[in-house]
Amino acid sequence: MSENYKFDTLSLHAGHIPDKETGSRAVPIYQTTSYVFNSTEEAASLYNMEVGGHLYTRISNPTVAALEQRLAALEGGASALACSSGMAAMHLVISAICSSGDHIVASSKMYGANINLLQHTMPRFGVKTDFVNPNDPEAIKRAIKPNTKLVFGEVIGNPGLDIMDVPEIAKICNSKNIPLVLDATFNTPYLMQPFKHGANIIVHSLTKWLGGHGIAIGGAIVNGGNFDWGDKDKFPTISGAHFALGGISFWEEFGPSALIAKIRAEGMYNFGPSLSPTNAFHLMQGIETLPLRMKKHIENTHSIIEFLVNHEMVEWVKHPDLETHPDHEVAKRILPKGSGSIVAFGIKGGREAGKAFIESVQLASHLANVGDAKTLLIHPGSTTHSHLSSEAMKEGGLTDDMIRLSVGLEDINDITKDFERAFKAVKKLNK
Amino acid sequence: MIINFKGAKTYLGTGGKSLDSTKKTLCFLHGSGQNHFSFVQQARFFAYKGYSVIVPDMPAHGLSDGNPCKSIKENAEWINDLLVELKLKNVVVIGHSQGCLVALELNKIFKNTLEAIIFVAGSNEIPVNQYLLDLSIENPQKASQMMVTWGHGIDGDMSINKWPGHSHYGEGNNIMCMNKPKALNCDLNSCNDYSDGIDAAKNIKVPALAVLAKNDQMTPLKSGLKFVELIENCETHILDCGHFLPSERPVELNSIINSFLLKLK
Ligand SMILES: Cc1ncc(COP(=O)(O)O)c(C=O)c1O
Repeated sequence: MSENYKFDTLSLHAGHIPDKETGSRAVPIYQTTSYVFNSTEEAASLYNMEVGGHLYTRISNPTVAALEQRLAALEGGASALACSSGMAAMHLVISAICSSGDHIVASSKMYGANINLLQHTMPRFGVKTDFVNPNDPEAIKRAIKPNTKLVFGEVIGNPGLDIMDVPEIAKICNSKNIPLVLDATFNTPYLMQPFKHGANIIVHSLTKWLGGHGIAIGGAIVNGGNFDWGDKDKFPTISGAHFALGGISFWEEFGPSALIAKIRAEGMYNFGPSLSPTNAFHLMQGIETLPLRMKKHIENTHSIIEFLVNHEMVEWVKHPDLETHPDHEVAKRILPKGSGSIVAFGIKGGREAGKAFIESVQLASHLANVGDAKTLLIHPGSTTHSHLSSEAMKEGGLTDDMIRLSVGLEDINDITKDFERAFKAVKKLNK
Repeated sequence: MIINFKGAKTYLGTGGKSLDSTKKTLCFLHGSGQNHFSFVQQARFFAYKGYSVIVPDMPAHGLSDGNPCKSIKENAEWINDLLVELKLKNVVVIGHSQGCLVALELNKIFKNTLEAIIFVAGSNEIPVNQYLLDLSIENPQKASQMMVTWGHGIDGDMSINKWPGHSHYGEGNNIMCMNKPKALNCDLNSCNDYSDGIDAAKNIKVPALAVLAKNDQMTPLKSGLKFVELIENCETHILDCGHFLPSERPVELNSIINSFLLKLK
């Protein structure tokens, strides 16, 4: 009773206690689409959002809810909502807050799909975005307009590893009464909890480190509950009368959880990007070991960085925990446990060398994901960006010799041996 | 709905329906440092059952401005004046925690008809320790966090919630943080200073219901059980949870209140 359990304990337990009927210790997978109503009154009370409960799995599900409550506890948020992917989470937040004519300020250095959604898709629906340098709080301040409805960025940017100065940016957003929405996929709540630094909304791709095993796609929104949506002119669909439920004001009815209530009633109801209960179970299984895995991810990352920095075949290494990284000071301040397990490095010999390296590793997997327990890598110059010239890649902040590495949990000596073999192959090619 | 009352912006939760003075009114009174959001799963439930529901944010609480009331009596007078101004005649008052003390005083002075009183996690006295009183001045946010942690049973610790995706702690802290900084200290002092509860409880002549919590660390069950003994014919239920029954056991609490209301004439 009133233990205020710590992070490691919550990772294992939050969201579930064994039910009295079966005693099941694991979170049961409620593989069902719908739930029998005990009475017409009960059904009506769920439809009217009078009390909590489940009516249809597109809107909520007990297994998915256990995951949501675990995430809310780990982030220290008021409420959370899990959905089918990280991109679904991002779209749900934007469509819940913005309408045609609204404006977003976003980081210019983010995951490609995040950029595409804001740069190309949302403008078709009248929502425009100005992109600014994520490590320049003053530039963010200057970009805010009267119709700006949110500021968005990745705490640790993918793939450039730029670090946002969250407390500084949060101060700016707070002074302008604009929510700060952060993609916290690369840090996870283990490395940093954005609400403690003043952020208001978090989106996660659970596919990555939170799930941690490369077996299920999923996303989540965690609502800090610390944003005042009361300005009816600015946030008319959250605090003003909404078409759902006879003109409900989500803000006046649900206060700290207004945003999640709105996303459930509108986003999940009308767009329907729900997470399958089985995937929720798999993702939760991953979260159980998040603290252990993140510790080892960081440990291995620091070892790999040292190995790469000292390797004759490596031109450069980029990681925020290196003093040479431009955001190193910010990283030390807001990510004291480490700034994640993605490392970028340049291989001597350019595009061809990168290709040869990738083709010569045996243990590390060449694929388009990050945050798996296994070591992963990709060479954008010969895959995702192979159609671009070296110059065009540079414009996007990438180089053709760059390899992106997602450091896994293998024995560190096995990873370095694997890389050593690949470097030898590259050396032969360079001769 | 927002009204201007006694010169201050005042928010009244109505459960998503309009106030209707021709119907029976359920008036919910929130606890120390709380506001109308702590009754989120009661307000809509009873409004949709056909009752006229009013959940005021007391001055300086939730979405209301104004200065916080400084005693239980002042709270009761404010509520009396509000209900009279709104011409709400047949009222059932439902208090949670401090709201129960306010209900005891309201019963003495209410100018219209009080049909019944419902005490949720109630007692005739709510002493507050000096540490918390001091902390509520120095660091109201920390004091709120401590109350939220003490206040919940195991469901709080484990983030177990009937309401999918919601965290008792995260939500509870933010509900309390919405109040003006001075509100919590005024509330806690009002509770601590209140000493007329025994006589007020003996004075109750209308039907009464008490719903107490087994693991209540704010108004302990022992104190609650002594309190209900003072009231003539108080229907009493005990639920297996902490102090925050309205969010910890919404379905059970609503069902008990609903059955009680149906028994009233
Ligand atoms: C930072 C970041 N955000 C969001 C996403 C999208 O996640 P998902 O694949 O779960 O939609 C990714 C995927 O790589 C990512 O790296």
